[in-house]
Amino acid sequence: MAEVFNWQLGRDMQYPFEAPRPKRQIAWVFDTNKCIACQTCTVACKSTWTSGTGQEYMLWNNVETKPYGFFPQGWDVQLLDRLGVVKWDGDQTYQGQTIFESAPAGERVNGWLPMAQDWMHPNVGEDEPAGAVERGTYLDRLPHDTWFSYLARICNHCTYPACVAACPRQAIYKRPEDGIVLVDQSRCRGYQECVAACPYKKVMYNNETRVSEKCIACFPKIEQGYQPQCVTSCIGRIRIASFISGPDDLDPKRPVDFLVKVRKVALPLYPQAGTEPNVYYIPPIHAPREYLHQMFGPAVDEAIETYQNIKNDPELLGLMMLFGSTERIMHSFSVDGEIATGFDEQGEELVSVPLREPTFIREFFDDVHEAYLHNIT
Amino acid sequence: MTEDRHNQDHGERAVSRRSFLKRAAAAGAGLTLAELFAFEPWSLEAAEPVVIGDPFAIFPDRGWEKAYRDLFAPDSEYVFTCAPNDTHNCLLKAHVKNGIVVRISPTYGYGKATDLHGNQASHRWDPRCCQKGLALTRKFYGDRRVRGAMVRQGFKEWADAGFPRDAQTGRPQMDMERRGRDGWVKLPWDDAFELAARAYLDVAQTYSGPEGAAYLTTQGYDPDMVEAAHEAGVQTIKIRGGMPLLGIYRIYSFYRFANGLALLDAHVRGVAPEEALGGRGWDSYSWHTDLPPGHPMVTGHLTVEFDLVSPEHADLVVMFGMNWISTKMPDAHWLAEARQKGTHLINIATDYQSTSNRSDEVILIRPGTDAALALGCARYIIAEGLYDEANVRASTDLPLLVRMDTHELLNARDVLPDYQPAPLSNYVQIIEAGQPLPPGNLQDSQYLPSALRERWGDFMMWDRAGGSAVPITRDQVGERFHETGVDPALEGEFTVRLVDGSEVTVQPVFGQLKRYLDDNFDLQTTSEVTWAKPEAIESLAKQIAAARGKTLLAHGMGPNHFFNADLKDRAIFLLAALTDNIGHLGGNVGSYAGNYRGSIFNGLPQWIKEDPFDIELDPAQPARVHSYYKGESAHFYNYGDRPLRVGDKNFTGSTHMPTPTKAMHFGNSNSLLGNTKWHHDTVHNVLPNIDAIFVNEWWWTASCEYADIVFGVDSWGERKNLDATGSCTNSFLHMAPRSPLDRIYDTKGDAEVTSGIAAKLAELIGDQRFVDYWRFQHEGREDVYLQRIFDESNATRGYNALELEERAKAGIPALMNFRTYPRHGGWEQRNESKPWYNRSGRLEFYRDEPEFREYGENLPVFREPVDATFHEPNVIHAKPHPLITPAAPAAYGLDPSDLSTETRQVRNVMKPWSDLKDTVHPLSAADDRYRFIFITPKYRHGAHSTPVDLDWMSMLFGPFGDVYRHDSRMPWVGEGYLEMHPTDGQALGIDDGDYVWFDADPQDRPYRGWQEGDADYEVARGMARARFQNAIQPGVIRMWYNMYVATRGSVRGARERADGLAKNPETGYQAMFRHGSHQSGVRAWLRPTLLTDTLVRKPFFGQDIGVGHENDVHCANGAPKESFIRLEKAEDGAPEGGLWRPAQNGLRAGYESDLMQRYLAGAFYEA
Repeated sequence: MAEVFNWQLGRDMQYPFEAPRPKRQIAWVFDTNKCIACQTCTVACKSTWTSGTGQEYMLWNNVETKPYGFFPQGWDVQLLDRLGVVKWDGDQTYQGQTIFESAPAGERVNGWLPMAQDWMHPNVGEDEPAGAVERGTYLDRLPHDTWFSYLARICNHCTYPACVAACPRQAIYKRPEDGIVLVDQSRCRGYQECVAACPYKKVMYNNETRVSEKCIACFPKIEQGYQPQCVTSCIGRIRIASFISGPDDLDPKRPVDFLVKVRKVALPLYPQAGTEPNVYYIPPIHAPREYLHQMFGPAVDEAIETYQNIKNDPELLGLMMLFGSTERIMHSFSVDGEIATGFDEQGEELVSVPLREPTFIREFFDDVHEAYLHNIT
Repeated sequence: MTEDRHNQDHGERAVSRRSFLKRAAAAGAGLTLAELFAFEPWSLEAAEPVVIGDPFAIFPDRGWEKAYRDLFAPDSEYVFTCAPNDTHNCLLKAHVKNGIVVRISPTYGYGKATDLHGNQASHRWDPRCCQKGLALTRKFYGDRRVRGAMVRQGFKEWADAGFPRDAQTGRPQMDMERRGRDGWVKLPWDDAFELAARAYLDVAQTYSGPEGAAYLTTQGYDPDMVEAAHEAGVQTIKIRGGMPLLGIYRIYSFYRFANGLALLDAHVRGVAPEEALGGRGWDSYSWHTDLPPGHPMVTGHLTVEFDLVSPEHADLVVMFGMNWISTKMPDAHWLAEARQKGTHLINIATDYQSTSNRSDEVILIRPGTDAALALGCARYIIAEGLYDEANVRASTDLPLLVRMDTHELLNARDVLPDYQPAPLSNYVQIIEAGQPLPPGNLQDSQYLPSALRERWGDFMMWDRAGGSAVPITRDQVGERFHETGVDPALEGEFTVRLVDGSEVTVQPVFGQLKRYLDDNFDLQTTSEVTWAKPEAIESLAKQIAAARGKTLLAHGMGPNHFFNADLKDRAIFLLAALTDNIGHLGGNVGSYAGNYRGSIFNGLPQWIKEDPFDIELDPAQPARVHSYYKGESAHFYNYGDRPLRVGDKNFTGSTHMPTPTKAMHFGNSNSLLGNTKWHHDTVHNVLPNIDAIFVNEWWWTASCEYADIVFGVDSWGERKNLDATGSCTNSFLHMAPRSPLDRIYDTKGDAEVTSGIAAKLAELIGDQRFVDYWRFQHEGREDVYLQRIFDESNATRGYNALELEERAKAGIPALMNFRTYPRHGGWEQRNESKPWYNRSGRLEFYRDEPEFREYGENLPVFREPVDATFHEPNVIHAKPHPLITPAAPAAYGLDPSDLSTETRQVRNVMKPWSDLKDTVHPLSAADDRYRFIFITPKYRHGAHSTPVDLDWMSMLFGPFGDVYRHDSRMPWVGEGYLEMHPTDGQALGIDDGDYVWFDADPQDRPYRGWQEGDADYEVARGMARARFQNAIQPGVIRMWYNMYVATRGSVRGARERADGLAKNPETGYQAMFRHGSHQSGVRAWLRPTLLTDTLVRKPFFGQDIGVGHENDVHCANGAPKESFIRLEKAEDGAPEGGLWRPAQNGLRAGYESDLMQRYLAGAFYEA
């Protein structure tokens, strides 16, 4: 075991390898307040990567409705049960044990292997709230007493991946150039230790090829400067994928840095697992805080407060309007008045959008084209 | 062992790669990427294991990564237009590998869209697509593709025998019961066209002349319907292009075909062109019950709405039963982004739905009571003086005087001797009968027939300044009203002397409406009626009043699909008018259901109504237009091919009167048969009376199951005919570019089918005009027809169709050149003081036409739902009121206590809530197991039924999906379910995941005349999984509308197939139920106020004004979303018996384990 620093936990922790950080780390921000659970990301992913034999059940990307939705069944209930009640020292330091630190004797990770039937019903719980309504229920404020919220999930391409730690064949690796975690399909022998280890249950076993597979972060796209399929197909415009600086660095012009480290509006999911996941979520403002603390840790309150003040924060608002506006990876952004602009790695403009969509009133008679213009025709 | 297996697999597959691809293309097997993947080099597994110490330090050979790069890299790409009925019509990019579309993605071209003036949309419209569009790869190559022209064996036998008919009745000597059970034959296209043409000729001949009328009478059709056919057999041929805006060329080609049938009529009846009749064209928007029928009652225009970008400009968005998040998915982000900027969202719904979780406030109400809620808010706003008086006076009919003796609006000619209607000049021209209108692009005003102008005269207000009634013309609206200086009374009773010397009392509409509201919709009563809390109603009203001009009031399919939908529209408009929330950017009313606004291409008559007797063959010239076909609502067909005749009265206005349906041909429209309202009744009772049923489809739906000829047409990905489409929710003009993809099967374009049949008719009757009518289609120059449409449409004139096709090929749409961007209905009326398309030019809330007075709906009242209620259905909520004096049931020869479903439609019974609340639904009175309101809304996984049976869609459609079907009772990899409050299930002994039976009114559902033991009863009785759902109010059952119904063939499949799939062994049709469907619970309803001959309205296309029936504007509308049912358990949830596994595991609502309860409570965190 090595001592590694997990900034999300605010402390060093035990991990089987030294795990130096990659040269660059791809990271995502998902705004759960915009997710509509349309599953376009799911189908974009599935049609690109998992439409084959043995992959029928696989959803490298899935969207589940919290709190009754799970893929696989009960995955985070199981995770929380294994880690126990979470305690944080103020907003800073995690006091409990990670999945590595709490691993049973002889194991590297405190995990569990779902049964085949747990992967059934991939959209169980869809649109099911906690807190049964009554006739005439009136929810007049946030958070809602009856509530559900959508959680889109992909592989977190963790800084300290549990799958890498658990693989007895070292068939899983984290690419130094972008931090993407891959299961080497030629080395894997299908022991499924990674499936059991992953706290997010994002490695899946292919019963046809007899090896495990997982989200590859659409690396063929990232290598070309494009965001992954689940991001570019996201019609809720909830997602952005770009690179995040290491714990000691920060560039406020980088979108993910700005959201995660400057405004601190996006948070890791179940950080106590200890893998330092690289997908960050803007918490849903209408879900009860007890549940959100359990999900995202103590920084939830500040994140929600910041989010609810976006209208007074032009820089954050401008960045939010850029979500979904380009297929390319946005390395930096700027907001100038009513216009937000995203740039590529060379600083060339990728896209500019207005903070409010423009309006035009055309002349009643277009004498060039000889047409009267109406809104009702 | 494993390695050996892999190597061996690879060898086999490598050899068979070519044959696999061929098989995939030929047989329509979806291309499975794993099989492609298996050919990639990495599956040749490295024989030598590599030992790695630290995977962060030493990497194995990463050459294998190339496999994913190769898999991702397409051979080619092209753009196509996805065209379901969801208003988005996204341009999508298809990625092709080995000649097969392997995946689909958005184009990101929307931010490049421009108009003719250089204006540009922003990239905030991108990306545009959805899961259903991306899943089309599963459909292009799916096993239910229609692979050519398919003919039902029994029909072919009848045709081959020369269409023999019974001499007495004219009925075909054909076993109609074979429909849905028969075998199918694939015919060469030419033969199929000829077969259809011969059938049309036979139908036209059989039912023409006095003999034809006699046949129809003998067959039992209503005499008014027989008369409506005018002894022209072609009038019994019903043609329908689905939602024609989705492909203005291909889908509207059906209506051109209907118009061209005048040539057949001229031949069969030997009449001159001026006497010839075309076929009947069935409605579209109103057929889907998407029309908000009260919009034309208030505005004269089919629907007011705003582009969905508009929340950007609003302070408040109130959604009445519009599930924006689920049904307007690519435009959901506008809501979320507006919210980020401070726009407040209020969701009014019957359940905590997807849009609820994205809203700031949620108000749950009793299903079907939206109108009552809006009236309650209106009452509060008036009572508290929060309304905009100036707007009420200038823009509404509320100041108009109504005569307390006749209940008609006071007309200036009643009072002023020799009064001549004032000359009009505000955006209007008076036209004489038969006077041609300018071409669409040059229509610069409303066109008002002089006879109507004469008949209407001018209405009056009571001018407080002068102390007298004064005429107010329809010119005098908005600022033009303010310029008159008239200070109208809104309340009070006044006496006027009529020209005959008598005196009558008059009152402003406002005062009488206020009385109705005060009598019936105080906060407490509104709360009891709607279930909404009094404080919720009060808060809602206050917020709308405060956000004057900045509130968007959106309503959608939920309340639109109730019988009382028009009353909801009138009430919501009232609320909006009181608060000046109509016609503003960010302050407007909008109805969202279907993609209906074909009128944005108002030059379409150039295509659909070209005169077939005077065909223009010069491509550079516009066509000469003459309408020979007549519009008719398909609701009558759905209603048993009957008019609304109850008691001793036919409530169907003569302008609405249907003809008997003897042949039908439709495309792009599973809703017309496979997913029709009251589907099981239509199959059992209506279809046996129809001689020929033709369907254009590219996917074998339940419509195909019961058809006689199915013309297999191109999928959206392989269209060979240029087309165009637009939307009612955004301003984009999408061309559907011609596809470079080879046709996957032996299919044709829709217009190739209609023109192909026409060409055979030309041969049969020797009339070349049937060929010339489609000349440019035959020559592959459909752009000629499209350009004619573009040239005469206000918003597209100036565009070149071929140039736009090139832009679309790059994924870029154009912007429609409406008056404003974004488009918001009523902008000119509110901002330029132009009149609405009705009599007064104002927003009209009082309807003094005789039908409305007779039915007690001259004021915007509230009626109980016609079926989905715990109380006496369809009762008018009203204490005695001087203006509400409807004809009672006895006036129609009906027993006042007769509450049967047929009678209920025309019962005009008034009760105050204090009496009504103690009444019960007639079914409950007889059997207390009937105690659930049944609603069938639409959901994110379907746009109508379009994609729901694709494996990926089905497995994600709710909680029961299982792609491996561990439970072999599952009809498919997903299935239909109904949802209930957990306590309702528990009370019935039903568990989450059980299968249940559900039954609606046994008088008529699942079909009229059902009996236990009938084969069709096994097909039609509804059975589905039960789902416990905390989102559902007690006493309400929700079932999604979109699922594929059980058919005769699917039920046989579920019984006989080894795999247990509910899949027709003969046709491959795949149902989502073992028995019945959501349609088992609902039926067809006809509503008298929608069948008038007097309502003033704009027609579908253009700026003129007329009265009475108009397809998709003033038309029968149905009520497919409401019913009243009972439930009973059918089977345990687990296949082996006992609880469904997720419930067993303690993860379901009502079954939470201790662990799950701690999880829900957030107990794994300690502050």
